[in-house]
Amino acid sequence: MRRSDGGARGALVVAVARTVPWRAVGAGAVVGLLVVGLPRLSGPLAAWLGLPLLRAAALVFALGLTFLLDDPARRLTTPVPTRRWVRSGLRVALVAPVAALWWTAALALVPAPARPPIGAVTLEAAATAVLAVAAAAVAVRCTDEPEPGPSVAAGFLTLGLLAPLLLPTRWNLFVAVGDPNWQAAHVGWAAVLAGAALLGAACTPEPTHSLRARVAPGR
Amino acid sequence: MTATVSASGLHLRYGGTRALDDVSLRLTPGVTGLLGPNGAGKTTLLRVLATAVPADRGSFTVLGHDPGSSRGRQEVRRSLGYLPQSPGFHPDFSAFEFVDYVAILKELTDRTARHREVRRVLEEVDLGDVRGQRIKRLSGGMRQRVALAAALVGDPGFLVLDEPTVGLDPEQRMRFRELIAQAGEGRTVFLSTHQTEDVAMLCHRVLVMARGRILFEGTPAELTARAAGRVWTSTERAPGAKAGWRTGTGSFRNVGDPPAGADLLEPTLEDGYLLTLDDVDAEVATA
Repeated sequence: MRRSDGGARGALVVAVARTVPWRAVGAGAVVGLLVVGLPRLSGPLAAWLGLPLLRAAALVFALGLTFLLDDPARRLTTPVPTRRWVRSGLRVALVAPVAALWWTAALALVPAPARPPIGAVTLEAAATAVLAVAAAAVAVRCTDEPEPGPSVAAGFLTLGLLAPLLLPTRWNLFVAVGDPNWQAAHVGWAAVLAGAALLGAACTPEPTHSLRARVAPGR
Repeated sequence: MTATVSASGLHLRYGGTRALDDVSLRLTPGVTGLLGPNGAGKTTLLRVLATAVPADRGSFTVLGHDPGSSRGRQEVRRSLGYLPQSPGFHPDFSAFEFVDYVAILKELTDRTARHREVRRVLEEVDLGDVRGQRIKRLSGGMRQRVALAAALVGDPGFLVLDEPTVGLDPEQRMRFRELIAQAGEGRTVFLSTHQTEDVAMLCHRVLVMARGRILFEGTPAELTARAAGRVWTSTERAPGAKAGWRTGTGSFRNVGDPPAGADLLEPTLEDGYLLTLDDVDAEVATA
């Protein structure tokens, strides 16, 4: 009965795809597009407004991604031979093309005169998305909670709102187009992206002795 | 009888709490019960044996595989069925789809054979007729049986059940007992429960656990025998009893150290369990 071939991988992909919290991801995507698209209804978009709208949309989409690793059946499926990093990696791989399409649509909704440099703002959006998934991975790694999404989303939203206010000027990531620190800020965004990717990857394997999924007290 | 599961010196600490304190045990084919109060470490022990959480120290083998290595852990998981206390489901899945999903994760990859196996376990837990229904529409007892089917899929040699009858009505519990007894034929089942009747009716061995330690290991009859001569009836509450309550007949049933000439009663497994816990509490208090 047990064998490993292309059909087996296909069955796993289909099965994991059905467990992805598409509603949360979809809600983030729709609201994100509304954030970018709705201001256009009230008239032409001011040139300066494109960047903050895209940043806000990226944050909203990332909030949806904080639910990506939620698994109501986690307790039942923890001790199965298919490793957790495979299942988590598949979820990320399944959502990545959707995220790319969504971001393309978000960019298209911003008229060309208001559109910030695409490479730089895409780097910001990617870093935000990867940071959200990394936060979800940390929550899964360090807690026994099957669905940590709501708590992670709340924390991530707070971080997203406070970061522009609390970051020291020389580390400010949220600079305007044409700001002398624009280049330096995007080196910072690249560092956030790399750090988040590493953190997420480090949290994907099964818990070991040092970082253990805790059992709720009283059992 | 050869042990299918053998553990030695398991330790696990959460902060300042010793969840497992030098736990050693041997499990043989059949149903072994695990009794203990809340906070005893039962769930932690089950999670360690199910490879859901690693122990800080100590070792164990399941069907000859050592989960200390990555390869060994995979082999253990291939031989394992695990029903946690609050299983959780993807609510939009049907019973069939959910068990099929777990079967895929258990590497049952041949579609035809897997579907046959999923149908078999759903029939085994008496859910064949509702296998197409969404889990969110099933009753609590049915959901619990879906979780049992998920644990049974792939015919694992070692089945770990964490309080599977909690929250079930008497009829559902009876049905579950049948299923567990059936599951224990030819495989090793480790059953954590608060229900001493479940242990009395199902188990060939029983372990009692408290404060992360195994206090007793033996047969249900041996645990019951611990209360021999320590259960008596009286017309009033006996002041020296560890526990005592008025029964339906109006007399008091007392457990503890009886006075001379007391009217002794036949003990139950629950009496033996209570006295085992109480003896340890007394030891701790003395120390």
